[in-house]
Amino acid sequence: MLPEDPIEHAVTIRSVRRLNSLTAVLVLDAPLIAAAATPGQFVNVTCDQFLRRPIGIMAVQRREGLIELGIRAVGAGTRNLLQKKPGDPLSVLGPLGHGFQLDGLRRVITVGGGSGVFPLFFVQQVCRERGIDALAVCGYRSKNESILRDEYAGLGCQTLFAADAGDLDVAGQAADALAQLLRQLPPVPGTAILTCGPRPMMQAVAELARRNQLPCQVSLEERMACGIGVCLVCACQVKADGKTGYQRCCVDGPVFDAEVVAW
Amino acid sequence: MVKTALQIGSLSLKNPVLAASGTFGFGREMARFQDLSRLGGICSKGLTLHPRAGNPPPRVAETSCGMLNSVGLQNPGLDAFLRDELPFMRQLGCAVIVNVAGHSTDEYCEMCRRLDQTAIDAIELNLSCPNVREGCMLIGSEARQIESLIRQVKLETKKPVWAKLTPNVTSIADMALAAQRGGADAIVLINTLLGMAIDHRTRRPVLGNNTGGLSGPAIKPVALRMVAEVSRLVDLPLIGVGGIMNGQDALEFLVAGASAVEVGTASLIRPAACQDILAEMQALARVDGVDDLAEYRGTLQLWGG
Repeated sequence: MLPEDPIEHAVTIRSVRRLNSLTAVLVLDAPLIAAAATPGQFVNVTCDQFLRRPIGIMAVQRREGLIELGIRAVGAGTRNLLQKKPGDPLSVLGPLGHGFQLDGLRRVITVGGGSGVFPLFFVQQVCRERGIDALAVCGYRSKNESILRDEYAGLGCQTLFAADAGDLDVAGQAADALAQLLRQLPPVPGTAILTCGPRPMMQAVAELARRNQLPCQVSLEERMACGIGVCLVCACQVKADGKTGYQRCCVDGPVFDAEVVAW
Repeated sequence: MVKTALQIGSLSLKNPVLAASGTFGFGREMARFQDLSRLGGICSKGLTLHPRAGNPPPRVAETSCGMLNSVGLQNPGLDAFLRDELPFMRQLGCAVIVNVAGHSTDEYCEMCRRLDQTAIDAIELNLSCPNVREGCMLIGSEARQIESLIRQVKLETKKPVWAKLTPNVTSIADMALAAQRGGADAIVLINTLLGMAIDHRTRRPVLGNNTGGLSGPAIKPVALRMVAEVSRLVDLPLIGVGGIMNGQDALEFLVAGASAVEVGTASLIRPAACQDILAEMQALARVDGVDDLAEYRGTLQLWGG
């Protein structure tokens, strides 16, 4: 029995685009991942630390065989990834995980907080390809810390930027901006809210979705090791058959229906 | 061709590289990375009689040259394993070793009794998981309990019984000798070292379980020393495990006295690590002019004696 579907790839970095002192977009030559990836999936990449780092896929350029990874420095491993240069080799496992479900949807509202706007950008890209009406809410601490604003604006979809500091469209958090958007928006059947960001933000978004009777998908984050479902360290609490239990964030998620998440 | 086949007691293995328990699931997820029929064998995720949810997250903390885990034996329980996983493992074409973790002697015995009727190749008694409150490491840190447990388990099964020991003891030699007296067919050295990671800002342990088991290259020297020490005292086959990341590491364990090795944490970083390590062992043997990996076994010559 031979492995028919290899997902460990030796890739090189095509380019690095600095967004600010803490974030950058790495563009990788990874045609097999670009061809197979769906929004919400991630890759597990090597760095100078012992374990790989799971990074959500921000965009793919299928024709060019490129994938883009948005990375925020949160520790030694991600700091090392931000220092990579074009031409540097990287071992990448992916695409991994269970991403967002877009089938049957007619309108998608993405709600991202901080670096959560990265993987949701891929959702927006695919919505455009598939002709799904899409809107976006992006929340940041401040205008200064905001990322991907030009890229989201360039999608041509209705986008609302929120900042706690009050220096963008909406003063407040992503959930506040979503509430404002939902008040103005005529209801369309087949609307869903897709969210990624800090856990309290996603919980507020899920609660808002529930009150508006809209389905909501959330992308959870847990510390991971293997990323492929064997080590069981990325347990997240999920409700199934009326009981709460642990599921693997890496393969059962990272995207879950908000209704099953045990907040 | 470098010969790789070996015997662990009555069990024939096609090569000395086994996947360590808890780092390979039941093999399902790993089939896309390597031809599993070419492995020596797979040690299943640690099983308990009843399903176990495991410990609260976070369950992992990275360390210098390794990692801590505090999974806590999350597993579907013996019934679900026999129904859903064993048929899959059975057709992989490599040896199937079932890691058995009990709360009590009765549980170990019941599990072994039921596994005796199945098509598995060996039982690996988990006397060493540091992440649960009962059984396992608590039994495995008392020589008398190790001996008595193995003796009772051996009455329940004709399958080879391997004792996987914990390094968190004052004398690994005493534990290994106890396993031998109890009638173990082989000894697996070592499970993880109990450790802790702390966040100085929150003044909290990083792991939800407070403590966890340290694995990876950080523990290889401890494991090598224990294999070398035990191999001089017991007559049983030894299986070495602890921080094996490449073929050279694996050969070091054979020289120390192991007949076979288990590869664990390496698989979490390189899913095809087992297959690569076997190929590296053979390549190194060719360089050394060795035509059978078994020739390395127990060839360590200590200084001064």
